[in-house]
Amino acid sequence: MTTTVAPGTAAVTDAGLKGEERTDTAEQQSTDLLSAADIPWNLVIWNDPVNLMSYVSYVFQSYFGYSEAKSNKLMLEVHRKGRSIVAYGGKEQVEQHAVAMHGYGLWATVEKANGSGDGRGRKGGARG
Amino acid sequence: MAKAFKYGLKGITGYLEPAERELLRGLLDDVISMLEPELSRDEDPLTALIGLDMNVKEPSDRALLRLLPNVMKNDDAASLEFRQLTERSLREGKIGALRAAAMGLDRNELVLTPEEAKLWSMALNDVRLVLAERLDIRDEADADHVHAMQDWSQAEDVESYLALVYNFTTWLQESLVQAMMASMDRKT
Repeated sequence: MTTTVAPGTAAVTDAGLKGEERTDTAEQQSTDLLSAADIPWNLVIWNDPVNLMSYVSYVFQSYFGYSEAKSNKLMLEVHRKGRSIVAYGGKEQVEQHAVAMHGYGLWATVEKANGSGDGRGRKGGARG
Repeated sequence: MAKAFKYGLKGITGYLEPAERELLRGLLDDVISMLEPELSRDEDPLTALIGLDMNVKEPSDRALLRLLPNVMKNDDAASLEFRQLTERSLREGKIGALRAAAMGLDRNELVLTPEEAKLWSMALNDVRLVLAERLDIRDEADADHVHAMQDWSQAEDVESYLALVYNFTTWLQESLVQAMMASMDRKT
């Protein structure tokens, strides 16, 4: 896990240089060679029998600023399907969300958007 | 008897009997003591100051693991590394909310500002998560079974007593969240 190599500084410069060098070879690059900031990550909320549905919806509204309708929809998805992708973005960003969710007592994990999961990839959790 | 939290002219208000306050204070204190990190003697004060904890391990206690979950489902090494960077401040944040709720219980009137209400809802949630682990609530059926315990005259063993306490905190948190939602509606 490459947690603290700030993508805002060194990694971006690096990517910028790579961007100029790679032209037709870009397609051949495996995703492993992309910097961490290039790969979107998902924030997953898991169902548990304890957290109140009202509380989960409240957390989505107050923390993410989602509408009541959207928050309820995501909450019901967690409840019925066992999990829901409620946000996605760069790794550091979703990790920050995950810690915040743990602060609220929600069971949250992060995962690579195209990695092991429910196969919905990055389409799952559009924000806003 | 306690009264449900409600949102009105004074803000979010509730009412708890002295015995109920005492019960709640005990529960909050229990979770605080679970979360207080053990200070090791050879700890580097600087890393502690910036919130790092290189000696941290995945909690063996299920309740504590539920409060401080792994950040990745199938990657223990990455989860542990993340824990080293974040667990201490997560513990401190939770303890802060639990203490805020405990201090609120010392006041005569239970009138909560929006920020206090948020901390109370988080604190009550953590209390419920711990009680649920102690009651072995694993799925919705377990939760329904516990929820069916509503009569204090039925409290004849530790488990039924815990179930009643769990249902009390559930009811309290639900009324608080409803009051918070009502206050959010009013503002928007």
